[in-house]
Amino acid sequence: MSAPNCLRCLVRPSAGIPSSTAPRTAAHAAARTAAPLAPLAPLAPLVPRSAPFSTTAANARPKKEAQGKDSSKGHVRAGKRLTLGKFKKDRVAEKGRPPAPGERKAYRKRITLSNDNAIAVPWLTDLSPTDLADPANIAKVLALPDEVQDQLRASEAFKPTQCWGMFRKPAVLVRKETVDVMSRMQASVAKRQTLRLALTGDKVSGKSMTLLQAMTHAFLNNWIVIHLPEAQELTTACTEYAPVPGTEPAQYMQPVYVLKLIQAIKRANEKVLAKTYTVSAHPELPQNIPANTPLLALANVAKEPDAAWPVFQALWSELTAQGANRPPILFSLDGLAHVMKVSDYRSPAFELIHAHDLALIRLFADALGGGVQFPAGGAVLAATSRSNAPRAPSMELALAQREAEQAARQKGDVSKDGSKAGVPQRDPFFRGYDDRVEAVLRSVQVLRLGGIDKLEARALMEYWAASGMLRATVDEKTVSEKWTLAGNGVLGEMERATLLTARV
Amino acid sequence: MASPANLLRLCARPTRRLQSLRAATVQKSALRRTLTTTQWRPAAARDTDDNTKEAAEEFDQVFSNPGEFLRSYLRDDKITDEERQLASRMLEDWKNVPPNTQRQFNQLTDNINTSVAPLRRPVMAKRDSFWNSEEVDTDLITDEIGEDDFEEDDMMSFGHAKLEEHREFREYARLAVWEMPLLSKLAKPFQPPVDGEVLRFRYTTYMGEFHPADRKVVVEFSPVDIPGLSEAQQLKLKKLAGSRYNPEKDIIKMSCERFEHQAQNKRYLGDLVEKMVATAKDPTDMFEDVPLDTRHHKFKQQIKFPKEWYLTEERKKELLAQRKQALLLDEQKRTEGAMIDGVQTIQHALLNAKPVEEAVTVARGRPIRGRR
Repeated sequence: MSAPNCLRCLVRPSAGIPSSTAPRTAAHAAARTAAPLAPLAPLAPLVPRSAPFSTTAANARPKKEAQGKDSSKGHVRAGKRLTLGKFKKDRVAEKGRPPAPGERKAYRKRITLSNDNAIAVPWLTDLSPTDLADPANIAKVLALPDEVQDQLRASEAFKPTQCWGMFRKPAVLVRKETVDVMSRMQASVAKRQTLRLALTGDKVSGKSMTLLQAMTHAFLNNWIVIHLPEAQELTTACTEYAPVPGTEPAQYMQPVYVLKLIQAIKRANEKVLAKTYTVSAHPELPQNIPANTPLLALANVAKEPDAAWPVFQALWSELTAQGANRPPILFSLDGLAHVMKVSDYRSPAFELIHAHDLALIRLFADALGGGVQFPAGGAVLAATSRSNAPRAPSMELALAQREAEQAARQKGDVSKDGSKAGVPQRDPFFRGYDDRVEAVLRSVQVLRLGGIDKLEARALMEYWAASGMLRATVDEKTVSEKWTLAGNGVLGEMERATLLTARV
Repeated sequence: MASPANLLRLCARPTRRLQSLRAATVQKSALRRTLTTTQWRPAAARDTDDNTKEAAEEFDQVFSNPGEFLRSYLRDDKITDEERQLASRMLEDWKNVPPNTQRQFNQLTDNINTSVAPLRRPVMAKRDSFWNSEEVDTDLITDEIGEDDFEEDDMMSFGHAKLEEHREFREYARLAVWEMPLLSKLAKPFQPPVDGEVLRFRYTTYMGEFHPADRKVVVEFSPVDIPGLSEAQQLKLKKLAGSRYNPEKDIIKMSCERFEHQAQNKRYLGDLVEKMVATAKDPTDMFEDVPLDTRHHKFKQQIKFPKEWYLTEERKKELLAQRKQALLLDEQKRTEGAMIDGVQTIQHALLNAKPVEEAVTVARGRPIRGRR
């Protein structure tokens, strides 16, 4: 087989370019003159300088100047170079000072309790100590006194998601459940007992707000209030922890959080703590506390996280000292599901620590389970959260069981076997139950919060309209409309339907 | 060679008393192919049967006219006297036939033999042929040439299809009118199951067609219906049934398609139920430590329109009263002046608001004194 082309020169057999038009380089000309009889020389002029057709883009062709220049400097780069940020170069944005660390979060989490632009409601009165437990006040909006505002703020009872910043003065709606809880608290204090109650209900149905009202009631009646505002801060492994020496199985304290808590307690309950005195000496603390010292002084001992837990223990033992003259105590926690599960902390053996092995939570769980007797009575309240809640099947089950038992008791099914019928039972094939949690919740009362009725809704909407936040006549029609829109008067949904719409 | 016509010809061969065909058979056996799709048959000539041997001997001669045949026949010693008489009489008759007619007969026989000869000629397979491609296919009825040409003398095929469809309709219509009513004679009245019949079987038929699922049998029963079971035994039966138990309907449902026939499957299921009931009655282990597992079942909540939501006359009256009450409340508030209007409140507040003092610009630093 013979090749169609000459293999020695690999000349492409494309004819058509006469030798005169074909560009000749000096080298070619030299070759011709020097060796005219060389076999390749006659072919050289026939070599086409450009192919008859090409797939290369026209603008990718090397430029004439580049051709003319000496190309020994380096290879000529053809084509378009990639230039990034061609037009951005000379534009320098005015950035200013970037926010300091934590500033954005502080802005996000800030709590505004008053708004000078809002219209003052003329008929708004401050709460008096007995107001919240008075059934006559149902469906009334009452304002929080200034002093209580400070106390509530100190114990972090207000939440950034609540709409305090829309009104001139923080005020709360007294609903039936409020009066129910407060009267239960009063009754238990009258009997020197401890009310143990879990508040549950749908999302934005006012669980935290009822907790706030309970705290308000406690502050107004000179109780001591210990409030754990966010249970998740204790169990999501975001605060320091250390084993409590001499505990078997090991318990863990959270010194930084406890220090913060002691300071909050101190600020919120200053007056009451100043009037309450220790019954025993506490020489083990960094600062010697003899007997008959105000509890405020004891609380003041905690200056460093190292001493926080012993001080808190001393404070707790003083507060629960039997036979002493003590005010009633309210111990409350928001976000119950977080403390009714295994926490995110790990032991030195890298095993997950149960939330009830964290000393502070164990204290609360004991109190909620009925293991602690307050000398002058009091209340242990826990509110569940529905939007930020990890799965706690045991808690859900226990609450449902308590609720069903309460309902059966109210109906009058006193028979023990009969009451078992409607009570939900454990799923025998589910593993995630927690005996410790169920033991704690075995005897608590459960209050389910639902929607408010129309009378309460009307009172609330009148307050909104009088504050200038609702541009409508508050008549039955409007109230019904918003009440229905809010899923039969779910409080948060009413706010969303009425206050938080941008319709003006 | 495997075509039906050739086969037929070969089968018919023993009855023909023709030498050429016989020769063809012999030659054929010699030329057997190495590969054939035709069913194998034993060679007829090799048979040791007496009759076939005789027939083979008879084949050895070809007779051009009856005279020759009769003469040859008379030469045979085995024939009886009556046959001999008959044959000689017939020979006499043949001899009396005029010679012209005899010649004509001979000629006719020759003609037939010559004209049929090509048919009888053995088909020799060509040595170089590729799968006998040049062989003529003799069993074609037509020559297939110009068959599909439309001669403008018929309906189009669509028309024929339509007619066919119409015929089919009519056929089924006839069936429906004449034969289907006769089925009602076969109908049996429904007998509800009596107390003892606790098993409910389900079979599947595909109307006589074969189907892999037609052997399947399903049995359903409720543990409560099984006679002689205490509550604990019923519970054990449910636990034994496992995921076949439907807690919502309280029914155990089992199926079997393990065996080839429906009856076998049904027998198996019946035995199985009996075995289960016997096990449930066995008191050695009552499975008290095992809870009844219902994870396989998804409980469906039956959502019904709430009774309280029905707009009965009473409810309408109640609603009307509520609305009247609401209107009265509004009216009362309005007369008292306690009705709160958000817009009015805002306007009132804006009117009564103290005017904010206008900001005064103050120059920064010391005031400039006139110094030049």
